[in-house]
Amino acid sequence: MSIGLDQYLMLSAALFATGFFGVLLRKNTLVIYMCLELMLIASTLALVAFSKFNGTLDGNVFVFFILTIAAAEVAVGLALIVALFRRRHTIQVEELNQLKH
Amino acid sequence: MSTELLQAAAETNQWWAIGPEMILGCAALGLLVLEIVMPKDKRKLIPHVAMMTLLVVLAGVGLNFDTEWKDQELFGGLILLTDAGQVARVFFLLSSLLVCYFGTVCLPRARAPRVEFYHIVLVVTAALMLLAQSNHFVMFFVALETVTIGFYILVGYYRESTRSLEAGLKYLVLGALSSAIMLFGIVLIYGAVGKVGLEGGAHTGFEFSVVADFLRHHPDNFLATAGALLVLGGVAFKIGAFPFQIWIPDVYQGAPTPVTAFLAVSSKAAGFAVLLTLVHRVFAPLEGVLVPLLSLLAAATIIMGNLSALTQHNTKRLMGLSGVSHAGYLLLGVTASISVPWAAGAVWFYLFTYMLASMAVFGVMAHLAGADDADQELEHYERLARDRPFLGAVLAIGVGSLAGIPPLAGFMGKLLLFVAAFQAHLYWLLAVALGSVVVSIYYYFGWIKAAFFESWQPSGNATSPSVRPVPAAPSWVGVAVMATLALATVLLGFYQAPLTSWLLK
Repeated sequence: MSIGLDQYLMLSAALFATGFFGVLLRKNTLVIYMCLELMLIASTLALVAFSKFNGTLDGNVFVFFILTIAAAEVAVGLALIVALFRRRHTIQVEELNQLKH
Repeated sequence: MSTELLQAAAETNQWWAIGPEMILGCAALGLLVLEIVMPKDKRKLIPHVAMMTLLVVLAGVGLNFDTEWKDQELFGGLILLTDAGQVARVFFLLSSLLVCYFGTVCLPRARAPRVEFYHIVLVVTAALMLLAQSNHFVMFFVALETVTIGFYILVGYYRESTRSLEAGLKYLVLGALSSAIMLFGIVLIYGAVGKVGLEGGAHTGFEFSVVADFLRHHPDNFLATAGALLVLGGVAFKIGAFPFQIWIPDVYQGAPTPVTAFLAVSSKAAGFAVLLTLVHRVFAPLEGVLVPLLSLLAAATIIMGNLSALTQHNTKRLMGLSGVSHAGYLLLGVTASISVPWAAGAVWFYLFTYMLASMAVFGVMAHLAGADDADQELEHYERLARDRPFLGAVLAIGVGSLAGIPPLAGFMGKLLLFVAAFQAHLYWLLAVALGSVVVSIYYYFGWIKAAFFESWQPSGNATSPSVRPVPAAPSWVGVAVMATLALATVLLGFYQAPLTSWLLK
């Protein structure tokens, strides 16, 4: 079996779905965070596959922008999680419920 | 690749065309340098430097409103300067100016770093302005993420307050989720467009005009349509439209008040600037899908926003959820603008009236907020009109305009949107919107009632609620700012010509 564009896209869609449902269903903020990164990586994989099979380079260039943005997001996100953990001693989603009415 | 192609691409790099954004970016770095080199007692001036920069850039954009680069693709198709883009620039600069001013009121109360706030506000403003002019999905995504990541930091800015941090984390998780969905949409569009093959090497599957061309010729392409829907879903998150509005109340409540104002006004306006660009320039050929989808979104958003705002007692949550219903009215305008072109101007008019009224209300909130910024209940407004009649009057004008009471500006904004919807034959949507306006008057007047009328107290009860201290009087700058906002709201209700002649071309 040869690996073509469709296989790459299926893998990418599966990764994206894993990430998406992980964000919705998992309770640990750090795991949610990893799932968010997984979604970005799924997009990156699809982008590289499209770029290769369409014979255009700009998809590859966009990947660098996405990596930079993901890094910035991780930096801010982990800083927030650490600051919150210092005050609340928990990163479980169901215990972060101070904001209600 | 030949060098001629590179030279041709470099010729469109008109750096002066994005001068305002460059100045803001440099000024943002300059603020950080100033904090290092300035003596400690002079650092209070740094916010004023930020505000002066915004003012100068605003004057510059106003003077050069008709730029020579209008309707030209710059930077190899990354940026397209349009009239709407210039209007957006003015809007974002004005709004950031007010946010910086509220920052000078609120930040000294909290134990938080002072200078970084203005730094991030300036960077976010520059990114917002670039976002409104983007003509390319890479530019679009990078500008949008710069805005969003800046907002993550701003929402969690009060590091000492667990509520601010919690709001920041919630915004971050849901914001990153929506960004990822949008990114996947962009990738699908790129894949679909690139597959067909294009003549000429300079164009790519990311450019708005190329995508629109592709959709015109292949309206039934599954990948591209799915991508377009995912991108619109990401935008719907930014404006807080119906299925994506869950983050709004928590984030608005936890964020520092100036940031709540920034989110409510600039972030929402950015969403609509982007939505108008996408609907008119990129996804225009998908009209058959867009009209029913957007009308459904608008109706659901209006109803959800108003019904959930009915039960709120925290004023920041109330502003957030009523803002959801405002997003619904604006979506109504966007839907109408597909068949009635002048409705796009009406959307901007509504955004301007919304900015004036919300900023007036947020100004009052900024002056009233106690030590805990997330704790601003309706009960705290009791006796406001007696203790601080000026703040009470500004609040009444702002809230009245948000509710759409004639003759205030908010009424004219709603009227224009509804006329546009009528011309676009969106009758059932109009009925939903009109019904919801009546509902919204109920909760807005609950707020005014709290400020102006003494609530009934059972006689002789021993456990009367602790009396809150009378809020400090605003400084003369604060009086001037809020009086200007209130006056503009009243005047725009009577004379719309200056703004409409500019927006409804």
